Amino acid sequence: MASKTDNKKRQKRVITNHDLNVVAYRSVLNQATFNYERMQSIGFTASMGSALKKIYKDDPKTLSTVLHDNLEFINTHNTLLPYLQGLMLSLYEGGEDPETVKKIKISLFGPLAGIGDALFWFTLLPIMAGICASLSSDGNVLGPILFAVVFFAAFLLRFPLAKIGYKTGTSALDKLQENTKRIGNAASILGVTILGGLIASYVSLNVLTVIDIGHGAEVSLQTDFFDKIMPNLLPFAFTFLIYFLLKKKVNPTLLICIIIVLAILCSFLGIL
Amino acid sequence: MEITLLQGILITLLVMILVVDRHLEVFFWFRPIIVCPLVGLLLNDLNTGLVAGGMVELAFAGITAVGGASVPEALLTSVMTVVFAHITGQPVAASLALAYPFGVLLQFVWTIRNTAFSFFNAPAEKYAAKGDVKGLTRLCIYGILITMVGVGLLTFLSVYAAQEPLKNLVEAMPDWLIHGFSVAGGLLPAVGFAMLLRVTLKAKYMPYLLAGFLFATYIKPDNVLPIAIMGLAFAMITYYRSVESPSSEGGSENGI
Repeated sequence: MASKTDNKKRQKRVITNHDLNVVAYRSVLNQATFNYERMQSIGFTASMGSALKKIYKDDPKTLSTVLHDNLEFINTHNTLLPYLQGLMLSLYEGGEDPETVKKIKISLFGPLAGIGDALFWFTLLPIMAGICASLSSDGNVLGPILFAVVFFAAFLLRFPLAKIGYKTGTSALDKLQENTKRIGNAASILGVTILGGLIASYVSLNVLTVIDIGHGAEVSLQTDFFDKIMPNLLPFAFTFLIYFLLKKKVNPTLLICIIIVLAILCSFLGIL
Repeated sequence: MEITLLQGILITLLVMILVVDRHLEVFFWFRPIIVCPLVGLLLNDLNTGLVAGGMVELAFAGITAVGGASVPEALLTSVMTVVFAHITGQPVAASLALAYPFGVLLQFVWTIRNTAFSFFNAPAEKYAAKGDVKGLTRLCIYGILITMVGVGLLTFLSVYAAQEPLKNLVEAMPDWLIHGFSVAGGLLPAVGFAMLLRVTLKAKYMPYLLAGFLFATYIKPDNVLPIAIMGLAFAMITYYRSVESPSSEGGSENGI
């Protein structure tokens, strides 16, 4: 098996850097026909298509098998996707059995989605949202521009990722899985720290109720009570209330509707 | 202020471009922080767009469709927040809460689309059997075009056709109701943050949450960059420790 693979490897190196770049930019198609049944399958397959055609130029039968294999369910992270595609292409090109490549793909796309979501959706996005929103709120156009630049850089990552996947092959796989936990752990710490700051900065909850304690003296619940304990106490408590409700599987859309209704009610009663 | 037919068409065209990015998640131009200022620019009211961009972005920072969850779509809420602020002159926070139902509307459209697009799978199999990569690519283009047209239509109806009734509705509202929407606008970011906590918070991360919270509460930096740098320091400490002594990684996996 090993020698057979080695022989084929020598014969069939056809994928160039240019082909990998094409795969990387075509990877933007990944979600083009996103559906609940197979999620990204068609875009995933189509973006690798030109490279696969090159590998299986003289073997249309295997080409259809490979295309068919890749049309199975897949849901992974869009930006990290070219890494997986580069890796798969190097295996296909090296004459690896399509069935084996499929198994590697299945074992890899989930963890890759996990890393990608942790890094992009749960870390980069909240960080950039926090920084850029504070600029934007002051009417500074730098807010949206900075945001666009950083995410454009994230898009450009797709090109080196395709090459890393292709060149390192499965050897990067072990290292990646070994590092997944560490990187995920570090990213979570960064994300959670920022979340603490965001809660304090951007959730606003001010109680308007003023209690008359007689002799013309008044006590404002907000400034004389809650703020004396700790400023931002209520936003913090409110966020955790929502957190526990979400853990109890309350639908977020419903929760938002309830918040709007309650806010209006409290406004009517003069509490908030 | 009124939205002219030309502005309505321009906003619709803008959304048709941005929704492709939402669909494919490539450049992240579909995020409120980009969408709101662009809509503001088209309405000749960039400042409102920028302020709205900051506010809506934070309200939606954690509301992401990760893991197949169906959530309100930030794109149309962003557009309508600026539109509401523009046509009614209401503060951005109130406009955000008023614009919320439009995000839910797009959420429904998105869900229907994600269900309907299963019909692409059968022709895709046919093209695969023939080894027809161009056919597969064509399906992707169809998916993009259908999304553009559908969402474009919805946007035009929301932004231009419905502006009179929407304006009348807001003008008929008493002050306490408008104020209530503003209060809701201030509370909505909590939902996004709580959703982020739900996926990231474990008992062992609680100290970092408290550190970030206390830093922002008592030092009050202009933006979250200093907090991000502090978080980076925490993350690096933990990362290098885990590299040095791999046995210490992991720890409690339980939520709180």
